[in-house]
Amino acid sequence: MAKERKKTVQELEAPVVNLKADKGAVEADNKSERPRGREYPKSRNTMQEKQLFEFAEYKAQEAEKIGYSNYSYWKSVWANFIKNRPALIMSVIFILLFIFTFVASAIGKYTIDMAPDPLNRAFIEPNGEYWFGTNAIGQDYWAQVWYATRASILLAVLVSLGQILAGVIIGLVWGYVRKLDRFFTELYNLIDNIPTIIYMTLIALMVGKSMVTMGITMVAFGWLATARNVRNLVFMYRDREYNLASRCLGTGLWRILFRNIFPYLISVIILRMALAIPSTIAYETTLTYLGLMDITKPSLGMLLSAARAIFPRASYTLLFPAIIVSIITITFYLVGNAFSDACDPRNHV
Amino acid sequence: MSETSEKISGRMREGIEQIRGVDFDERARAILSQEPLLSAQEVEVTFSLRGNKLTAIRRTSLDLYEGETLAIVGESGSGKSVFAKCFVGMLDKNGSITHGSIMYDGQDLTKLTEKEWLKIRGRKIAMVTQDPMTSLNPLKTVGWQIQEAVELHQGLKGKAAKEETLRILEAVGIPDPARRYRQYPHEFSGGMRQRVVIATAVACKPQILICDEPTTALDVTIQAQILDLIRRLQKEQNMTIIYITHDLGVVANVADRVAVMYAGQIIEVGMCNEVFFDPWHPYTWALLQALPQLGVKGEKLPAIDGTPPNLFNEIHGDAFAPRNRHALNIDFLEEPPMYEVTSTHMVKAWLRDPRAPKVEQPTAIARLAEEKEEKGTDPKAWHPHLDPNREILVEVRNMQVTFGSGRHKFVAVDDVNFEIYKGETFSLVGESGSGKTTIGRAIVRINPITGGEVLFKGERISGKISKELDTKVIRSMQMIFQDPMASLNERAKVDYIVSEGLMNFHLYENEHDRQDKVQAALKEVGLLPEFSSRFPHEFSGGQRQRIGIARSLIMQPEFIVADEPISALDVSIRAQVLNLLNDMKKKRGLTYLFIAHDLSVVRFISDRIAVIHKGRIVELAEAEELFFRPMHPYTRALLSAVPNPNPYLERTKNLLVYDPSIHDYSSDKPVWCELLPGHFVYGNERELDGYRKEFSL
Repeated sequence: MAKERKKTVQELEAPVVNLKADKGAVEADNKSERPRGREYPKSRNTMQEKQLFEFAEYKAQEAEKIGYSNYSYWKSVWANFIKNRPALIMSVIFILLFIFTFVASAIGKYTIDMAPDPLNRAFIEPNGEYWFGTNAIGQDYWAQVWYATRASILLAVLVSLGQILAGVIIGLVWGYVRKLDRFFTELYNLIDNIPTIIYMTLIALMVGKSMVTMGITMVAFGWLATARNVRNLVFMYRDREYNLASRCLGTGLWRILFRNIFPYLISVIILRMALAIPSTIAYETTLTYLGLMDITKPSLGMLLSAARAIFPRASYTLLFPAIIVSIITITFYLVGNAFSDACDPRNHV
Repeated sequence: MSETSEKISGRMREGIEQIRGVDFDERARAILSQEPLLSAQEVEVTFSLRGNKLTAIRRTSLDLYEGETLAIVGESGSGKSVFAKCFVGMLDKNGSITHGSIMYDGQDLTKLTEKEWLKIRGRKIAMVTQDPMTSLNPLKTVGWQIQEAVELHQGLKGKAAKEETLRILEAVGIPDPARRYRQYPHEFSGGMRQRVVIATAVACKPQILICDEPTTALDVTIQAQILDLIRRLQKEQNMTIIYITHDLGVVANVADRVAVMYAGQIIEVGMCNEVFFDPWHPYTWALLQALPQLGVKGEKLPAIDGTPPNLFNEIHGDAFAPRNRHALNIDFLEEPPMYEVTSTHMVKAWLRDPRAPKVEQPTAIARLAEEKEEKGTDPKAWHPHLDPNREILVEVRNMQVTFGSGRHKFVAVDDVNFEIYKGETFSLVGESGSGKTTIGRAIVRINPITGGEVLFKGERISGKISKELDTKVIRSMQMIFQDPMASLNERAKVDYIVSEGLMNFHLYENEHDRQDKVQAALKEVGLLPEFSSRFPHEFSGGQRQRIGIARSLIMQPEFIVADEPISALDVSIRAQVLNLLNDMKKKRGLTYLFIAHDLSVVRFISDRIAVIHKGRIVELAEAEELFFRPMHPYTRALLSAVPNPNPYLERTKNLLVYDPSIHDYSSDKPVWCELLPGHFVYGNERELDGYRKEFSL
């Protein structure tokens, strides 16, 4: 016990920097009758009883020592994130899934361009030749599914990134600049009062059906919810004293937005982004159902939509894409929650 | 005991027994003759926070005697609230009493189940907390809330319960109880709300009342009234009171006995006069010495360096040792036992050991015991307004600030005029809501003004101004904020926070130069240069406030608006910041606009003081002159309420109450008049004549 205690006392002694500014400390150093080297008494054994009751040296530096050290924000975020096992496991599974979409296309026996042969090859159950079976027009379902997965994930990630980027920037300005509040609020009402599906239909009819067009349209109308959410959060932080301090120091608008306010919103933004990915895939399914997507290139939405019609005959056509969509949805839900918790510094100690 | 009492001059003692005061010797005899009402022995409380163990109370003991008022003083984090919460079984879920016992009425409170607690909590031991708004239900009427307690604990029903409620409301000094009975908490002012909370607590006629910082959120004048109320209720109901506070003025006012807490332990306990006039723990010395009331103007306050220890770590020896200028070697190794100074006075310090070297108490402690009338002396200091070479730095002309518009228009500041001379500390004093912060913010242009103008070095800086002037004003005018927890960006490193101003105007040559400047600024405010890579949440309140000051100073400003820079800090840390501000003033010739509500601090730091009431400056004079010849009734009320750390003076002080309705401005319009050189007061002709007559001017 005594040994253990000795060790902890030694650990307590951090190296002390000798500051010239600290006059008292320098003077104390010059006095020769006091022990040189700035150390606290280490253990009782090394001291006579008489010494025990002598004055110890006073060190202003020691008094200034602070509680935590070597704190790094992102390190703590990561440390907290990996504590959440389900989220960690799901994100590993998701990454493997995404990598596998490339591998699967490479090792598959057929491509998505396989010529249709509805008479001979339609609805073949999964077997050694067609690993996931075939679809209604006799194409290899394995190639279809993995191509669709890759395309959908890419689309979803890009769309949600775009939505979040636009939403956050607009939301920050909307919330912080009082003069623009009215303008953005009216703009929001204008766009939000008409269902997005109507815009989508119009654009698909006028510009044409393709994944890229749909992606851009989804970004163009998807920022609204994020922006509104960000704006309400900015209201909370806008008039905090540290922002007033920045204004006193003459800090410009964008620096205040991105250095003072944005970091406080990270956890919320990450949560929104994570949830935007599955919802984009769901949205894409709706659009396909309405016939607004390019049907020559498969996507998960398209496969699901097609499988729904033929589900009783060939249940495997629904099963494979449904499993993949579930994995994506659950992953981003868990990861989003875990990451936004981990980003909150109140959870770091 | 008697030795301590002899230190106090005879005349001062005469007045004591007459008014509210107490004969401490008699109290001590009474206490020694009885068994403790509540006895906490070796209590240890630990909290678990995300897998880490925090020991908030480290095996400490305390006895409570019937009919006494015991004050527990300590800084935030010293465990004083946690300790008191053990007595009502209200610890947070993650905390528990891991050692010791609390004996009350023949049972050990630490072993009670939640069901058994219901018989004691509220009925026998009640608690009043700091923020009255959080202890009242905003959706229920005040009467309903008190009546609920009455019905539950006194067993009264219907009409009888209502009558009892009305009686209690009247007893706690709420005028027109029948009408107030039907009102909701938001219709009450802060002080009135606290009275309601006290009413709900005393409704059950508890034997012990625990008051946890009941007046911290209130203005000084209201605080004095609440303290009087608690004292009166104590006498009427024969309650025993535990008073938790960080304010030594409050302790001096209410306490029979005082327990000083530091890092989860009681380190000194004794009768009020013993702890104030004959303290023996170096921490108690430091606390008392750091009071601005005992400071000598123009000299450094003896501050306590550093911060209290982190209770997540195991503490060896005396927890105060690293900050203690009188520390012995043994303080770092072994925890001191309790030494007896008198039969009622115990100290946990090695200095009391017979083997320890003899140490004299600091001189400031002796100054406290001396008779020091709070009257002020004829000023002999620097007279900025009489100095022929004075230079006006900031001038405020007819400033008006309103918020909202139309029917919701609220005039926060009305027709305010003053000048601030170069090199002086000009203070604005007033209660919360008086508009003092609004004036400060209007000068640094955070809030726009709606009328009048602000001049800086003769140039108008309010309203629309040119880009160059804007840059110049930003660089020469800075602000220090009240709450060190809110005024630093938690997500940025100290390095960024301090150099923010430099980056805005690119005031450095290269990255290396910038880092040098940051480190120099940190050193200047007494922080270690390596702190620049840390985040704000790693620092204590005082350190954070100094980071805020470093951030302002790095711009090399001439003028600083300090908005209540120390009111959110602990007593031991306030002195650090005050010293720093005074140092910088001397070293750099800075000019301050110091905004505060605490007159004792203002007196210590300022050259001139303006007293503001409801958005209007009612009196302006040199600091000592204002204390010597206060004219406006509001100033007098404010001065009379200033807490004094001398228990005898504090208890005999004559409290004045300001009633704005005494002014009759219907026909005789008030003016802003200079009655003496540099001494302005707001009043109409009749009032001014009164002041002239009174001071024979």
